[in-house]
Amino acid sequence: MTSNKVLLRVENLVKHFPIKKGVLIQKQVGAVRAVDGVSFNIFEGETLGLVGESGCGKSTTGRAILQLHRPTSGSVFFGDKDLVALKGEELRHMRRKMQMIFQDPYASLNPRMTVGEIVGEPMIIHETHKGKEVQDRVEHLLKLVGLNAAFANRYPHEFSGGQRQRIGVARALALEPSLIVCDEPISALDVSVQAQVVNLLEDLQEQLGLTYLFIAHDLSMVRHISDRVAVMYLGVIAELTTRDELYNNPLHPYTQALLSAVPIPDPLAEEKRQRIILQGDVPSPINPPSGCHFRTRCPLATTICAEAKPEFREVSPGHFVACHLV
Amino acid sequence: MAEILNVQGLETQFRTREGTVHAVNGVSFSLKEGETLGIVGESGCGKSVTVMSMLRLIPSPPGKVVAGSAMYQGKDLLKATDEEIRHIRGSQISMVFQDPMTSFNPVLTIGRQVAEPLEIHSAVSRQQAYDRAAEMLAMVGIPNAKDRLNDYPHQFSGGMRQRVMIAMSLICTPQILIADEPTTALDVTIQAQIVDLVKRLRDELGMAIIWITHDLGIIAGLADRVAVMYGGFIIEHAPVKELYTNPTHPYTMGLLGSLPRLDVSGRKRLTSIEGIPPVLLEAPHFCPFAPRCKYAVDRCWNENPGDFNVGPDHTAACWVDTKTGRER
Repeated sequence: MTSNKVLLRVENLVKHFPIKKGVLIQKQVGAVRAVDGVSFNIFEGETLGLVGESGCGKSTTGRAILQLHRPTSGSVFFGDKDLVALKGEELRHMRRKMQMIFQDPYASLNPRMTVGEIVGEPMIIHETHKGKEVQDRVEHLLKLVGLNAAFANRYPHEFSGGQRQRIGVARALALEPSLIVCDEPISALDVSVQAQVVNLLEDLQEQLGLTYLFIAHDLSMVRHISDRVAVMYLGVIAELTTRDELYNNPLHPYTQALLSAVPIPDPLAEEKRQRIILQGDVPSPINPPSGCHFRTRCPLATTICAEAKPEFREVSPGHFVACHLV
Repeated sequence: MAEILNVQGLETQFRTREGTVHAVNGVSFSLKEGETLGIVGESGCGKSVTVMSMLRLIPSPPGKVVAGSAMYQGKDLLKATDEEIRHIRGSQISMVFQDPMTSFNPVLTIGRQVAEPLEIHSAVSRQQAYDRAAEMLAMVGIPNAKDRLNDYPHQFSGGMRQRVMIAMSLICTPQILIADEPTTALDVTIQAQIVDLVKRLRDELGMAIIWITHDLGIIAGLADRVAVMYGGFIIEHAPVKELYTNPTHPYTMGLLGSLPRLDVSGRKRLTSIEGIPPVLLEAPHFCPFAPRCKYAVDRCWNENPGDFNVGPDHTAACWVDTKTGRER
């Protein structure tokens, strides 16, 4: 269950990808500002949902936390250690405690390795288990994620998408991590199989006391699985609060529009809904709008929105919003 | 209202190295003037193949429409000559495809591509066709439509490209618009824009729509009637409100139960459907859902259920009455 102990503290995390020009002598001519200063905490045992549209920087945030992309600036405190400052052996040691489940179960498993080798590899690399122990633990993990232990000798192509994602989950659990970053773990799966994987993730969280950062674009699923939800737009967090507060009392105009755009599988509910249709597209993160990043599509934008970047502040206990008008 | 399309017993198969894939196994439905029919199902259930067969867009070989009829204006589309079907396709029945990134020719201008159906199907000059194309682009909400005729597809964003595609499909004012997962590749706020646009155009132009999707959410606010497909069959068919309030087939019930709802709070456990969708390499002599069905009885494994009337204008293909748990 959720405690009040902070497991991960992200402070002003920035990740810019340089754009270079020139063949021999490369000059940086700009940057894709994928993540442009985000701050949040993740409490032990909770699920923090991170939602946003494609290109808003949610996956980059997840990867920058795990140091798969080294952040441009900012800090990521895991316990009392700042991961951004760690290097080499020290960082490798910390990696045991945080693992990732990837979006595409077809691309994230090596087709030339058996399931046993895939799930066992982290234990061999980190030397946590040896010889027969590895095999035993692989069998245990496969059972834990609802697969037959005898599948260890098979290859990934013999499995369906949902089963492959279970293999990915087993691999992520191999080193007994405390934090798992789930990067769109269900969006490549069929609708009827998605619920299987979500139920598995919930069961594992209960059994093993895991903490999840759940990255997704499906707001209905995020509402279902998360304790708290952060909404991202163009590299910044627009709003962060508990699940029910966000859905019942969204304060940021982007959150309001996003929620109203999600279709509900119920014709009677759909009839009564008022949609806020946003105009236009998400601007390019190479050259984001001045001030508030959302102002170009915001129905309420005023002059101040173009002049100053809104502060990400706590407007009521546990409810953070970055908007001048709230 | 008058019926404009009637599909009966449509069957399509593909020959592959692994054997014959029974993609569509006897699908029947009809469409009335101005009506919106939603076809819902997971990947591989045969929903796209159904409409592609109807429009004769199945590549043959390996594909073949082996049985059925599709009556449109007193003519069977499946038996029409190539010449006849070319007259209908793009002018009277047109299609919007899923992926706006790959459905345009990247080396032709948008104006050329949007105007093309009109140039082919009616006796207008190129200039007139371009003028009409500009009007259509303005109608689907492309700013500065006239100036953008000379732009190429890559100069448009995904949502804008889907608008252009809709403009192209509507330029000959078709009676039927077939939309094959037109919003799946788009973000949710852009999806809302496109759905809103299609609803407005439907009211203005009065065309009938077949909207194919895997998303039960979109269909709820858009369709008049819904057909749910599984394993190449329509397993349940009903008016939209009836289907969502009174789902009868175990698959439809499972699908609705496995969807989290934005307007419902709490971490209520989702009812997942165990197992995986069928591979369709076997001839369908039993219910395709039986291996995953918790209601299945012996009969489900031996005989394919026909459609049973289970409510007003509501059919389900299931041997078991899921309300009572008894065999029909």
